[in-house]
Amino acid sequence: MTQPVHVGMAEMVVSRHPATLITLGLGSCIGLVIFDQISRTAGMVHIMLPDSRDVKNNPKPGKFADTAVPLLLDELQRLGANKSQLRAKMAGGAQMFSIPGKDSAIFSVGNRNVEATLKHLSAEGVKLVASDTGGSKGRSVEFSTETMKFIVKTLGSGIKEL
Amino acid sequence: MDHASEFTSIHMDAIREVSNIGTGNAATALSKLLGRMVDMDVPVAELVPIYEVAAHYGLPETPVCAVLVRTEGEFSCSLIFMIDEENADVLADLVIPMDVSGMDEETKLQIRNSALSEQGNIIIGAFLNALSQITGWVMPNTTPAVARDMLGSIMDLVASMFGVIGDSAMLVKTSLHVKDLDYELGGTVIMIPDPGALEALLSKLGVL
Repeated sequence: MTQPVHVGMAEMVVSRHPATLITLGLGSCIGLVIFDQISRTAGMVHIMLPDSRDVKNNPKPGKFADTAVPLLLDELQRLGANKSQLRAKMAGGAQMFSIPGKDSAIFSVGNRNVEATLKHLSAEGVKLVASDTGGSKGRSVEFSTETMKFIVKTLGSGIKEL
Repeated sequence: MDHASEFTSIHMDAIREVSNIGTGNAATALSKLLGRMVDMDVPVAELVPIYEVAAHYGLPETPVCAVLVRTEGEFSCSLIFMIDEENADVLADLVIPMDVSGMDEETKLQIRNSALSEQGNIIIGAFLNALSQITGWVMPNTTPAVARDMLGSIMDLVASMFGVIGDSAMLVKTSLHVKDLDYELGGTVIMIPDPGALEALLSKLGVL
């Protein structure tokens, strides 16, 4: 296995094979991987919020679902990926806290992240082939271009391979 | 307002002082609850890029327990009391009047979480009371919510909450330490103001 590359908050990393991309401790954020099995290219982005339209300047396109998805596709195509071959896997979007009787937008940010990411993937015509989203638990994720598998770890309930 | 560009040292001092009083009150409340001495560190107020929030508190995969309480009104914010999971159970057991060690995991977890949510509630409630006395604002608080998870995942949410406003987080780090135990037992209070709330507070304190 190659030395894993950490994808920090709001960061985006794209790479040709061989590469291992990881993000530790996703909560309400989304770990989105888009890959092309033929050209063996893959990229991961750590999306924090659904929509960039409320902010004046957006120095980190990876922060928002609406800017992260198109940019990730551009970057992958620049590396030689074929858009029609691109597939996506995602994890995250948990609701870490719930207060009885409170349905605050602050707590449902995870859900809104999932919805926005799905919407932008679908708008770009990228097929989501696996996902592990929602719930109340945080996740660590790892993606390897060797296997094109997405490994999702949750504290207390073990490891899933997507 | 983008925090990084517009907060001055006077603002930081004001926030630190408010936190100092808030944490002092919280330490007293916890001390009364436990019947033990509780020390506190002098609070540190720092502007941190939201992308570094998790690293600021420790390793991302460390298991922690966090209690979150919100206040909504003239000053709206979320407050989190966070403690390493191992320490959390020791803290919980200090107020549970029976031996839970022999119970099944699920029951034990529920009893401990219940104790922790009440301890978090008392600590954060005391913090808010102090803030309320300084500002004259009424600060009703919600019932507490407890999460046990990776530090990174809790901070992921904290960073997102700050991320709605800008790219930096005003982190007030204050630690409480319970004395007379075999080892150090400490937790951290984190205040996450809603958009505009920090400005309202600074304005009320007469420094903005």
